[in-house]
Amino acid sequence: MDTTTTWPTAVEIHGLRRIFTPRGSEPVAAVAGVDLEVEKGEVVALLGPNGAGKTTLLDLLLGLGEPTAGTVRVFGRPPREAVTAGRVSAVLQTGGLLRDLTVRETVRLVASTFPRHAPVDEVMERAGLSRLAKRRVSKCSGGEQQRLRFALALLPDPDLLVLDEPTTGMDVTARRDFWAAMHEEAARGRTVVFATHYLAEAEDFAERIVMMARGRVVADATTSELRRYADERSVSARVAEPEPALERLRALPAVSEAGMVDGRLRVRTLDGDTVARLLLDELGGSDLLVESAGLEDAFVALTGAPLAAEPDETEPTATDETEGVSA
Amino acid sequence: MSLTYLRIELTRLARDPGNLFFTIGLPGVLFLIFGASQDGVDRMLEHGNVALYIMVGMAAYGAITATTTIGGGAAVERSQGWGRQLGLTPLRDHQYVAVKAVTALLIAALPVVVVYALGALTSAEGTARAWALSAVVVLVGASAFALFGLAVGMAFRTEGAVSVAAGLLVVMSFLGNLFVPLDGVLLEIARFSPLYGYAALARRPITDGAMFTSEGVPLDADPLWVPVLNLCVWTLIFGLAAVALVRRGRARQ
Repeated sequence: MDTTTTWPTAVEIHGLRRIFTPRGSEPVAAVAGVDLEVEKGEVVALLGPNGAGKTTLLDLLLGLGEPTAGTVRVFGRPPREAVTAGRVSAVLQTGGLLRDLTVRETVRLVASTFPRHAPVDEVMERAGLSRLAKRRVSKCSGGEQQRLRFALALLPDPDLLVLDEPTTGMDVTARRDFWAAMHEEAARGRTVVFATHYLAEAEDFAERIVMMARGRVVADATTSELRRYADERSVSARVAEPEPALERLRALPAVSEAGMVDGRLRVRTLDGDTVARLLLDELGGSDLLVESAGLEDAFVALTGAPLAAEPDETEPTATDETEGVSA
Repeated sequence: MSLTYLRIELTRLARDPGNLFFTIGLPGVLFLIFGASQDGVDRMLEHGNVALYIMVGMAAYGAITATTTIGGGAAVERSQGWGRQLGLTPLRDHQYVAVKAVTALLIAALPVVVVYALGALTSAEGTARAWALSAVVVLVGASAFALFGLAVGMAFRTEGAVSVAAGLLVVMSFLGNLFVPLDGVLLEIARFSPLYGYAALARRPITDGAMFTSEGVPLDADPLWVPVLNLCVWTLIFGLAAVALVRRGRARQ
């Protein structure tokens, strides 16, 4: 029975663990207990620093690896079944193409493995490959190879598209074009789950951001919730009489949190100017400090690791996760 | 089986002229030099002449070069991520193996066809049974060396290593009594080398196991179990090595 079309949940992950035991060293839990559900039609970013376990998690989601414990269901079935039925496909990290084939041969070869697939020419058109059809894969740039992987992922006309660091190795233009193409696919109603270590990509493209660190989900929120977090300011000052000051500040609607930290009064607020003025003019505050409590800071606090800076071409290719042992 | 996949595999191999040279060109040329034009190649053995005997050796060399290269190439391409890409398709492992096996068989048949044709056009003579049976043994036996290529590819994960392995087949061919008839201590060593059993079995339809030196002096005949045991043991060694290396690769994923 094909439940794919009616099953409401694209991804159900429960109690998932994946432990690697590299030769001669201690076991490493690349995925250390993850629960995650993704509804049909959602666009979800899996955000985390290198080694957070994103690639391993996506491998388990695609049936490329076996979990040590826990379950993964894609549209209600085991991942390998979902792959065979063409309901899920993926753009994997670098590697995985035959360098001596042409672009078109690669698409035709992978298409031939599916009983039913989208027309080869149409897929190549959508991935922007039509003019590269006769080029050898070895002669394609990193961005072109990534577009080829994207074309291969479109072949089964999947309901769920998984992208693992899809813009790694792309220049700024290629990156923008790639996300434009992805926007089109998402608009067709596909569920999209993508891993990235670029905050900007997660913010720009996803409706929901799942943050991972050390094999666990450390935060899971809609992008707008997280954006609001980014707009908050942390205002701190020394005050002679903390108690009445805290009382006044907590009464303000724009203040989400107020308290004493290391002998300083500290306030989290969406209206830093008002709080600062109040502290200096009326509450006898001194040594005032206003800081942005941005998403970046939240991320560092939650994951214990800084994110990559803005995407750029000099970013080294993230291959350390592909083997899993380093995760 | 995917005919599209098979066709594209064959196209890939046709694009690699170096590979085809070692698989078809070199055995053909070696036969013309050593088998077609030298004195004494028309001397008759049990079921065919010396030219036929040399021809079978050259065809065998070409066939194992093909299977080693294809087996090794499969291991290397899978370890470099193509296995992950195929893991995103409905293609099953056994279908992939089937495509590679048919490819290896077709490519291994090329040197057999070419060298046997050269033999027929020049000096090789023998019974129909000797021609046909030797060709079958060359092809079937060559499959063992796909395991050799596979093991090397799994162990080193580079195309270069597979090329070196294919190159080593030249040395192994000399050691295995395949190119030049050995005698004395060298022949004793040869009996334990990987290509000895394969070559001896392929020539058995011509010689019935009779042995001779490069000058044509007869030696004691090999009982059938010697080459059979040699080929079985080496196939087992290659097979176990390949399985162990596949397991190691899995554990690392």
